[in-house]
Amino acid sequence: MATADFSWNAPKQQFILAGGKESGQKLSDEILIDNIRWFTIFRWAVIGALILFQIVALIASDALTKLGIRNQQDWPLVLSVILSAANFAYIYALDFCQPSKFNSPSINIWVQIIVDLLCLSIVVHNVGSTTTPAPFFYILHIALACIFFSALEGLFVAIMVSAMYTIVLLIENQMFFQVSQSILIDPHFSNESLQKGRALVWMIALNTLFFIVWYVVSRLTLVVRKHEQYLRDAYEQINQAQIAKDQYAMLVTHQLKAPLDAIRSKINLIKGGYCGQVSSEIEEVLTKIDRRGHSMSNLILDVLKLERLKTAGRNNDAMEYIDISATIYKCIDKLKPVTTARNIEIKLSIQNFFARGIPDQIEILFENIIANAITYSYDDAAVDINSIVKLPDNSAILTISDHGIGIEAKDLPNIFNEYFYSPRAVMHNQSSSGIGLSLVKIAAVNNNLQLKVTSDPGLGTAFSVIFPNIRISAGES
Amino acid sequence: MRQRIAHVDDDPDIRDTVHHILSTHGYEVDSYQTAKDFIDSLSNPSIVPDLAILDVMVESMDAGLTTYVELHNRFPRMQAIFLTSLGDMILPYFENKSEKWIWIIEKPIEPSGLLSIVHDRLS
Repeated sequence: MATADFSWNAPKQQFILAGGKESGQKLSDEILIDNIRWFTIFRWAVIGALILFQIVALIASDALTKLGIRNQQDWPLVLSVILSAANFAYIYALDFCQPSKFNSPSINIWVQIIVDLLCLSIVVHNVGSTTTPAPFFYILHIALACIFFSALEGLFVAIMVSAMYTIVLLIENQMFFQVSQSILIDPHFSNESLQKGRALVWMIALNTLFFIVWYVVSRLTLVVRKHEQYLRDAYEQINQAQIAKDQYAMLVTHQLKAPLDAIRSKINLIKGGYCGQVSSEIEEVLTKIDRRGHSMSNLILDVLKLERLKTAGRNNDAMEYIDISATIYKCIDKLKPVTTARNIEIKLSIQNFFARGIPDQIEILFENIIANAITYSYDDAAVDINSIVKLPDNSAILTISDHGIGIEAKDLPNIFNEYFYSPRAVMHNQSSSGIGLSLVKIAAVNNNLQLKVTSDPGLGTAFSVIFPNIRISAGES
Repeated sequence: MRQRIAHVDDDPDIRDTVHHILSTHGYEVDSYQTAKDFIDSLSNPSIVPDLAILDVMVESMDAGLTTYVELHNRFPRMQAIFLTSLGDMILPYFENKSEKWIWIIEKPIEPSGLLSIVHDRLS
């Protein structure tokens, strides 16, 4: 007995570009709302850090002073309260208030920026505006603004940052209109004037840095957005080309199949006795013509299905929880004419479950496996369909077994190849298109399913489909 | 009174076959080459059919489908069947409509199957 497992790890070539509607400059409300939520979560982390800082300040204030950080008061706690209240207000405005002219995601995010910058300025003032790296945290705001907004809006943030830092330095060093007085009292370099000189250097250096960061990050963002736009356009073009290709494939299928359908309809008219009595010899010839026409029709339809399955790829948006038992019954119903004609009994023993997949692809998968089991069975035989649900790991195995001609071990690795014909299979069924199992393979890849094939030549074949992440009922996991 | 059936198909052999089968069993059959011809004919109340058999790809890729939508809106009681080479491949186009209202027969025409569905729809 030969066994083969087939599992396909498709390369992650499917990509979805969010927000096809927004231009390169403006972000959609949807993305702004996502950013608001992200900023809010990030702010909770900052609030946590401030509380931690307050605790450290209470425990080891001397150590902080040695590090150049000013003597602490209760400002971290006050800021935590302000930022927490602001965070609740942002979420309340977003989730519990009707959107209006004054309550839009854009206004929400701008209020966040202004409040955050004010709070950061208080931190910079209290921690040390020229003695600690605290002012460098302004850069984070500029970078985020450049990434999430337009270059112009980023510039506004950079100007705001620059103004706030300048004001902090001016206030701390009493540089408002006091320089000349200071020079009059002490024309030499005093400690105070050294301090002011240092503040001036920091002011010029950091303000220059703020605008350099704005320029560099906004340039980079523009380049990234331009590429993103190219990708979005290319994705759109691919989608349109796929639609056009699909329509063309459908048109070709129709044009190829239509004449065959007309011929076979006429054959059915004669065989139905609508054109008078015909001899048994003629009827036999007509049956043979019809059989060949039927094979060709199937081949044409299978080629179209194969093309469509390849094009569809692994589309998570089209996936839903599918009633496997109902799908199996539907397939059996479709194949009833063949099972009846060959007196093949389908024995079902299924514990139902729901599996995630694309409905028509799962149907194609089962229809082909069951059709194969019937085709390669001997007349008057049985095809068994049973399922095993493994609750601990939420998986299920559905096995379709026949008692037919089986597959030789050397052919087993090739059975999913397109247009593969095994001589033994062709002897049993001359009308095989060689595509059926390729359809099964692509449907399995697209739906993240594994297949296991076990076969014994002369005794039969069992196809097992392994479903991960199943549900026992439609609504619950 | 004989029940009237309209059949739209651009293939003369299919029109001829359907006409032959249905008229043999006592139905009044009006055959149309295009969906437009059929829609135009509906302005005459005396020949509004009880059942319409539509091909999907007639003068355009989806002329049959748009005809079905128009029929469904203008004559909600009129029955419709699709007779198409594409079979149930056209089903995804009807994702918002119940499958029981959309009868699809895949070509080739099999007389007894066609008659059984026509009889079922008209009764």
